[in-house]
Amino acid sequence: MKDFLRQNGILLLVIALLLSILIGVLSVVMGGQADPLSNLTNTIVSPLRGGVTAAADWVEGVYTYIFHYGELEQELNGLRVRVGELEEQVREGEEASRENEQLRELLNLQARRRDFVFEGARVTARSTSNWESTLTLSKGSSSGIQAGDCVVTEMGVLVGVVSKTGLNWSTVSTIINTDTQMGGIVNRTYSAGVLEGDFSLMNQDRLKLNYLPEGAQLVSGDEVLTSGRGEVFPSGLVVGQVEGVFTDPSGQTRYAVVKPAVDLDALIKVFVIKDFEIVE
Amino acid sequence: MTRRDFIRKWTVYALGLLPIWLLDAYILPRMPLWGTVPMLLPLAVAAVAVLEGAYSGTGFGLAVGLLWELAYPGGFGGQVFFLALAGMAMGAVSQYALSQSFLGCLLCSAGVLGLLDLLRVAQRLFINAASLSDLLQVAAPEFLWSLAWTPPVWLLFRAIYHKVGGNRLA
Repeated sequence: MKDFLRQNGILLLVIALLLSILIGVLSVVMGGQADPLSNLTNTIVSPLRGGVTAAADWVEGVYTYIFHYGELEQELNGLRVRVGELEEQVREGEEASRENEQLRELLNLQARRRDFVFEGARVTARSTSNWESTLTLSKGSSSGIQAGDCVVTEMGVLVGVVSKTGLNWSTVSTIINTDTQMGGIVNRTYSAGVLEGDFSLMNQDRLKLNYLPEGAQLVSGDEVLTSGRGEVFPSGLVVGQVEGVFTDPSGQTRYAVVKPAVDLDALIKVFVIKDFEIVE
Repeated sequence: MTRRDFIRKWTVYALGLLPIWLLDAYILPRMPLWGTVPMLLPLAVAAVAVLEGAYSGTGFGLAVGLLWELAYPGGFGGQVFFLALAGMAMGAVSQYALSQSFLGCLLCSAGVLGLLDLLRVAQRLFINAASLSDLLQVAAPEFLWSLAWTPPVWLLFRAIYHKVGGNRLA
């Protein structure tokens, strides 16, 4: 300890304390934008992160090919059948769309449309902590990505919301993270609620659809979508399926446990919705 | 020790930290064990503090804390001071109460990991984010799985210490 004091150890501790305060203040002041120190560090680290992730993806791919070939083949056969079913549904859907268009013209209604501006990005890192669920993406503010933008898969399934952006990277808070809060709606019954992350459910890869209306008759397997209430997030994005309905410990409200449609551990590429316009 | 030797010594330590950081940040999160990802950075601080003493432990803790805050998501600054303070405490404890051995490192690692998890549990209890049992279900496996990584981290830094540690370059 004498050495510590003789070598100005206290000075090091003071520097550490000042740096802690500086980083803390900057992160509060900057809000959704990364503070300059984090931005600089992550901008430098980004290529390394991309390289390591690409190498790990390749190794994982080879491993899956060698040790799970049978499963892949089985999945492929299942997907072929599913494609056939979906093609049939598309044909029926096209017919219904044409009919819908004609009826709208007859009634002089404005056409429904959903315009999204997407930015594709790679997932370069996953949660490093057991206390939160985040992803790091390969693109940031230089590509027009902002905090609050929704992130979806190529199938339009909600992954999460951008929580922080740097120059060439951004952090996504996934839908199961404890800070998630957005409007949700059950597709079958139109029961609206609030989608919320919950700590105990996060570790089971689940989230809550809270404050369900009284008398909402939900069943396991019901599809949950974003409601778009408040127009902060787009409506109609697939969140997941209802797994069960429970009553709050207080007995006041009911909530549904939702299993996300996205497999967060398997994500490689995602799409950030930079801008959207929905006419219902 | 000349300035050049000092820089050389800490460059080698930084290179030793590199694989640990890559494992911690990019490799291990892809393969969690029963849903748990270990924390390796506090172990690195514990190993260096036990080997090099309180002063170097503080400096290394400060540097690792900065890396943790700036290169990882969700930082609010506290880890810089926490790891610097932990580095000082572990260095002092190993110098005066424990020995500069694997057992000393294991005890110091257990201390710093336990304190980190205790702070996280307390913080979430304070804001009423979850029940104590839910929080302990995350903290306990994290503590044990992280502690299991002490041997490789210790071996790596002990090898570096034998090459360039202490005043060997002086």
